[in-house]
Amino acid sequence: MANRTAQRPNGQTQGKICQFKLVLLGESAVGKSSLVLRFVKGQFHEYQESTIGAAFLTQTICLDDTTVKFEIWDTAGQERYHSLAPMYYRGAQAAIVVYDITNQDTFGRAKTWVKELQRQASPNIVIALAGNKQDLANKRVVEYEEAQSYADENGLLFMETSAKTAMNVNDIFLAIAKKLPKNEQNTGQAGNAQGRRLTEGDTGPKATGNCCK
Amino acid sequence: MLPAQQDVLNIVQAKFLAAEVVKTIHLNVSVVDGPLENDNRILTLVEYNKSFALFVLVSSRIQPISFSDLSIESVIPLDQNFSFETEPVSGQNYVILIIRYKQNKYEFKIEIGKESCNFAAEIIHAKEVSLTGASNFTWLEKYFGTMNQANRNSETSISDQSDFVLIREGMAQGQASINRESMLKYQMKLREPEFTQKQEFTIFVGTWNVNGQPPSASLKSWLSVDEKPPDLYAIGFQEIDLSKEAFIFNDTPREAEWQKCVMDGIHPNAKYRLVALARLVGMQLAVMVNNQHYQYVKNVSFDTVGTGLLGKMGNKGGVAVRLELHNTSLCFVNCHLAAHVEEYERRNQDYKDINARVNFRKNPQAIKDHEQIYWLGDLNYRITDLTNTQVKTLLQRNEINTLLRADQLSQQRERGNVLLDYSEGDITFQPTYKFDLHSDIYDTSEKARPPAWTDRILWRGKGIHQISYRSHMDLKISDHKPVSALFKSEISVIDQTKFRKVHEDLLKKMDKHENEFLPQVMIDQTEVVFDLVKFREPQARYIIIANTGVVPAEFEFIKKLDEASYCKDWLGILPFCGSINPGEKCDVKLEVNLETDLESIYDILVLHLKGGKDMFITVTGNCQKSCFTQSLSSLVRIRVPIMQSNPQQYNLARNNQSPILYSVPRELWLLVDHLYRHGLKTRDLFESSALHEELIRIRDWMDFGSQDPLPGTPQAVAETFVLFLSYIKEPIIPFELQDVCVAAASNFQNCRQLLIQKLNDIHRTAFIYICMFLQELLKHSNDNGYDAKTLASLFGDILLRDSIRNAKPQASRGKANFMYNFLVNDLSALLIPK
Ligand SMILES: Nc1nc2c(ncn2[C@@H]2O[C@H](COP(=O)(O)OP(=O)(O)O)[C@@H](O)[C@H]2O)c(=O)[nH]1
Ligand SMILES: [Mg+2]
Repeated sequence: MANRTAQRPNGQTQGKICQFKLVLLGESAVGKSSLVLRFVKGQFHEYQESTIGAAFLTQTICLDDTTVKFEIWDTAGQERYHSLAPMYYRGAQAAIVVYDITNQDTFGRAKTWVKELQRQASPNIVIALAGNKQDLANKRVVEYEEAQSYADENGLLFMETSAKTAMNVNDIFLAIAKKLPKNEQNTGQAGNAQGRRLTEGDTGPKATGNCCK
Repeated sequence: MLPAQQDVLNIVQAKFLAAEVVKTIHLNVSVVDGPLENDNRILTLVEYNKSFALFVLVSSRIQPISFSDLSIESVIPLDQNFSFETEPVSGQNYVILIIRYKQNKYEFKIEIGKESCNFAAEIIHAKEVSLTGASNFTWLEKYFGTMNQANRNSETSISDQSDFVLIREGMAQGQASINRESMLKYQMKLREPEFTQKQEFTIFVGTWNVNGQPPSASLKSWLSVDEKPPDLYAIGFQEIDLSKEAFIFNDTPREAEWQKCVMDGIHPNAKYRLVALARLVGMQLAVMVNNQHYQYVKNVSFDTVGTGLLGKMGNKGGVAVRLELHNTSLCFVNCHLAAHVEEYERRNQDYKDINARVNFRKNPQAIKDHEQIYWLGDLNYRITDLTNTQVKTLLQRNEINTLLRADQLSQQRERGNVLLDYSEGDITFQPTYKFDLHSDIYDTSEKARPPAWTDRILWRGKGIHQISYRSHMDLKISDHKPVSALFKSEISVIDQTKFRKVHEDLLKKMDKHENEFLPQVMIDQTEVVFDLVKFREPQARYIIIANTGVVPAEFEFIKKLDEASYCKDWLGILPFCGSINPGEKCDVKLEVNLETDLESIYDILVLHLKGGKDMFITVTGNCQKSCFTQSLSSLVRIRVPIMQSNPQQYNLARNNQSPILYSVPRELWLLVDHLYRHGLKTRDLFESSALHEELIRIRDWMDFGSQDPLPGTPQAVAETFVLFLSYIKEPIIPFELQDVCVAAASNFQNCRQLLIQKLNDIHRTAFIYICMFLQELLKHSNDNGYDAKTLASLFGDILLRDSIRNAKPQASRGKANFMYNFLVNDLSALLIPK
C-alpha cells in the first residue's frame, strides 16, 4: 500500500550499540583479571589481587558499522567456586576461556571449561580460547599448534595473548565482537541473562531482548 | 511452606485469575501503627507473565476460609519504582518491612523467621525478573477498581492510574540503554564541528494539486527545467484521487501512476532513487535522492495526519517525510489545508494540528525538531477583500505586489498565526489557482473563484538559500498549476576518520565514567569459620562491608542457581540486603543455629552489588554430634552417650547395622525417669521456659554423659524432653502415618490397631512409653494442674509434628484427639510386641 521507506543498509559508523555479556573462565592465576584490566584500563599489575567473586566492568569496541558494548564478568577461578560459574555464563553471549601457556594443567582445565560451555551455556555462545602469558614463551609447555588445532576442532577463536605486553588483548575482544551476531534473532534468546541482576541499567526489554537498538 | 500457609495460599490464589500465579504469601502482617495482634493482613506476591506485583490483602477472619474473606487494600507493581528494606526493632521479634513505591511508603510489622526470610528472598527474585523482562503491568489495572474504598482515597495506595500508565510507558523503552545512546548522540552533536564540514546540496521541491486527474502529460516542464540535476527531489501532490474508494480505503492506483510519471519527469542527467513515499488519500509526497548520495541518507521515516472530516479524515491534512542526509536532519511536509476563502482560521488550525500530530517515532519525533524543514502544498489561502474583477485587473496590469498584500497567507504569517519562523521567497509568478481545465484562463465557471496563490513552498532552518520559486504554466490538466522551488542548502558532511576518532573518544570516556561509577565495596573477610557448631547454640560472626566506591552501594545476598534461598537453613544473615553510602560501612551478622544432624556446615554466599560485581563468602564449621538430632533407631543402638561412642559404633548405629540395645533410647529414658521422680507434682511443668544455659547444660550432660546427676530444674528437664521429641530425626509418629492416625482418632480400637500394624517396634515402644508417662502425670493432676485434653493437644503436635518446623505451632484438633485416646485408655496390652 501507500507509504514506504526504502530498505537499505545502515548508514555510516553512527548508530547501533549492541550489548553483549561476556564471561571469562579459566583456572585461577592464568591472567583473567589481568586481561580485563589491560583491555578496559590499559594497565597491568604484577601483583593482581585474586578474584573472589565475579568482577564486573564494561567496555565498548567500535566496529565498522556497529558499536559493541561488552558487559564483562571476570569470575573466580578456584575449583571450589566452580558450582557458581553457571550464574555467570548462563545468558552470556561470549566467553573467553583462558589458560597459561607455561602451565599444562591450566590448558586441561580450559578444555573442561569449553566442554561445560558447550553443554550448558546458550548454544550460540561465541567462545574464544586465550593462551595467556605469551611473554613467557621461553617457559612454554603448551604448544601453539596443539592449542590451535584443539580450537579448530571445537570451533573456537584462538589467540595467544599477554596481559603484560598487551599483545593480542584488544584483538581477541575485537575478534569476538566481529563474530557476534548483530541482529535481533541471534541475540534474542540470550536476553534473560542471569549475569547482571537487579541492575538499573537493564530494566528495559530492549536492553536484554535485542542487541541492537 | 507450612500446611496452614499452603491452605491460605490456595484461598488467596482463588482471588486471582489462574494465569496470575500467587508465588508466595506472608501471613499475620500488621501495619506499623496498629497493634501487633491486629495481624490480619496478608502480603501476596503475584506473577503474571513474568511481571510481579505485591498485593496487600486484608482478611476479615483471622484465618480466611474463602477468597471472599479477602479484600485488596493496595496493589504495588514490582517495577523500578519499587524498593523495599527491612528495619529491625531492637529487643523485638519482629522487623519493620518498609516498601517504597514512588512517593508512597508502606510499613508493615512481620515476625522474624523463616517465613519472612523466604518472603523477602522471593520479592528480591521477583523484582529481578520483573526488571530484566519486558514487564507489562496492564493486568493490574482491573484490581485498582477493587481496592478498599477507604484506601482508594488515601495517599498510601496507587489509585492514581494515569500516573501508573506513565510508569509503564517508561518501562517499555529500556531507559538506561537509551540514555546511553542519547547521551552519545548529544555529545556527538556538541562536537560536530570537529568532524563535519558544510557542503551545498541542491534540493528541488515541487507541489501540485492535480484535481483528481490521472497523469497524462510529461512532467519534465516542471521537474526538469534547471540545467543541473538537483541532489534531492521532494515532490508533493494533492488530490491525486477524489474517488470515494480512495477516501474510505486510502488505496488508489493513482499513487503508482503519478510516481512513475514523477520518475519519468525528473532530471535525465542523473539517476535517482526513491527514499520514501508517503500518501494519505489524495496527498502524496515522494523524496528521491541522487544515487550518489543514497548511502548517506539514513533514519528515514514518515507520518501522515488527517485534519479533514471530523478533524481526522484524510481528505485534508498533511504527509511528512524525515531523513538525515549526511549529518543534517531534513523534514518535508506536504499539506492540503482547508478550502474556502473565509476558512483561513481553519487552515491555521490544520497547520497547527499537523505539527502537533506528526510523530516519526524516531528521534527527533516532531516536525519542529529538524534542522531543515521544507513546507509545501496546497495551503489553500486565498486573496481577500478583492473582487474577482479587481484581482483580474491587477493581474493584467501585472501588479503582483499589490495583490500579494491581499494574500491571506502573507497576512496570517505576519500576524504570527501560521508558519511562524518560516521563510518564503518572493512570489513573481501569477496565482496558480483556479484555471479552467486545459487552459491558462482563470475560472470562468459560475462560481467564478478569484485567482489565488494556493500552492506554496516555504522553509525553515539554517543555511537554506532559495535559487528560484516559480510556477509551471505548461501543465494544464488540473485547475492548479504546479509550483517548484530550487534550494541550495548547506548540509553538514561527516569526515569519517575524524568522526570515528571523536566517536571512539566519547565511548571511551563513557566507559570510563561508567566503570568509575560502578558500586565498589570491600569486605573484611571472605572466609567465615565458625567454632564448633553445637545443637541449638547460636553463634554469630560479623563481616564488615565497606563502601570504597563513589556511589551508594546497594548490596544483597542472592540465591544461587537452583537454590531455594540465599543461604542454607542453618544460617541467618542480618541484614541480608541494604544500602551503604560512600565511605560508610555496614556490619552484617552471620548467625548459625544448628537444628539438624550435620557433620559440618559449608556454604558459599553470593553478595551482589546492584549494578556491579558479586563477592563470594565461604562459610564453614564443624558440628558437634548430638542425641537431639538422631533418629530413634540409631539411639537405641548406642550403648553410651553419643560423644563417648567411637566413630565406628556410631556409624553402624546410624545405618541400623548394629544390634538394638535398648527398647527406648537411653536419653529418652533418662529424661522421663528424671521427670517421673522429680516432676510429677510440678505445676505447669511444660509451660515455663528455661534459661538457655540450663538447656545447654542438660544437652551436654546427655551427649557427653556424666557421673553427676542430671542438672536443672524439673521444668528445664521437661523442656528438654519436649525439645528432644521435637527435633528427633523422625517424629515418633512418622509423617506418612499421621493422616491415617488423625483419621482414626475417633476410635481407640482403630488407633490401637494402627499402632500395632503400621508403626515399627522402636517407634511404637517409644510412643507407648511416653503415653504411659503422661498417664502417670495425669494421676497427679491436682498438683501439676494438667488434664488429659491439655496434654493431648500439647503432645499431639510434638509426637505428630509437621514436616516443616513451625515457628508457631497451631494445635491440631485431629492430632490431639488421636493422642487423647492413649492418655485415657489402658495401654498395657500394647506393650507386648506382636
Ligand atoms: N608474565 C605475565 N604475567 C601475567 C600475565 N597475565 C597475568 N599475569 C600475572 O599472573 C598472576 C595472576 O593473574 P590474575 O589476572 O590475577 O589471574 P586470574 O586469577 O586468572 O584472574 C598475576 O600475578 C599477574 O600479574 C601475562 O600475560 N604475563
Ligand atoms: Mg582474577
